[in-house]
Amino acid sequence: MDYKGDIFYIEQILAGNSNSFCHIVDKHKNKAYNLAFRICGNHEEAEEIAQDSFLKAYKSLKSFKMKSSFATWLYRIVYNSAISHVRIKKKGVLSLEDFPVDATDFIGTDTSEEEAETEYRNSLVNFALQKITEEERGLISLYYYEDLSTTEISDVTGISKSNIKVKLFRARQKMLEIIEKVENKKLIYHE
Amino acid sequence: MNDQGKYNRDLLREYIAPGKIEKAPDGFTSKVMAGIQVDAQHLISARNAPRKDLVPIISAGITCLLLSLTFLIPADKSDSLTLHVLNLLKNIKTALPEINLSSIFNVTLPSVSMYALLGILVLTAFDKALNVIFHREK
Repeated sequence: MDYKGDIFYIEQILAGNSNSFCHIVDKHKNKAYNLAFRICGNHEEAEEIAQDSFLKAYKSLKSFKMKSSFATWLYRIVYNSAISHVRIKKKGVLSLEDFPVDATDFIGTDTSEEEAETEYRNSLVNFALQKITEEERGLISLYYYEDLSTTEISDVTGISKSNIKVKLFRARQKMLEIIEKVENKKLIYHE
Repeated sequence: MNDQGKYNRDLLREYIAPGKIEKAPDGFTSKVMAGIQVDAQHLISARNAPRKDLVPIISAGITCLLLSLTFLIPADKSDSLTLHVLNLLKNIKTALPEINLSSIFNVTLPSVSMYALLGILVLTAFDKALNVIFHREK
């Protein structure tokens, strides 16, 4: 079925047709889930956060002013929920030793070398993400995975555009340093 | 390449595969919609249920009324109030058969005891009524 746009379904929900919300969930679930996952780093918790965020969005749909897009508004809910969730459940710090040495660790029975390399890189980025702060994780996720501009990220997080640029730069630097360390460890291991 | 140049190239972008996002698990939408249905049912039952928050307001209202009666009626006029109540009781007596307690218990009770008894009965009935209305759990 063709998606008729967020506003169409929101108007239907506000008119009393709550079932229309399933179209909105279907449309935005992956992005909401991905953002929650990048911030908390755990699939079960990400599902819980994303579901709660949709429920919050549904309950406060009347307060949605339609000034920003529904996606931006939803991202704001997911971002804030995930950040507070992580702050409550602070996890132990991961050490470099926790990361597998190379791509061969990601090769399954029917995985090609190329797929294993992609999986390795993905895990490496996830690992590096868990080594930066939850706020930085949110910014990196919104910028790289959700492909939002700094203006849109500012709308979601409430952080000024210039501050986002500074924070993104620092987060990127931290992540690259971690990635570099893991890659160096890999080189030493193979020498 | 210097560090600045390296960051300008955005090395991180090379590690993040474009479009590589974690997909929501199967049944995600139905779980959200189930949550919404449960929430909607809670709202309906909350709307239909008697408002428990009214209990302290009703109690406070009655207490205030009784307190203001106690303080606002001057001591010298309390007799007239008593007379008024007695007149009321007399009127009730005309409608109801009179029960002579002294002949049953063979004791003479002061008139205030009758008021106390009446008060207890009213309060018990009031408590029962609230209990039924608000399903109070003991």
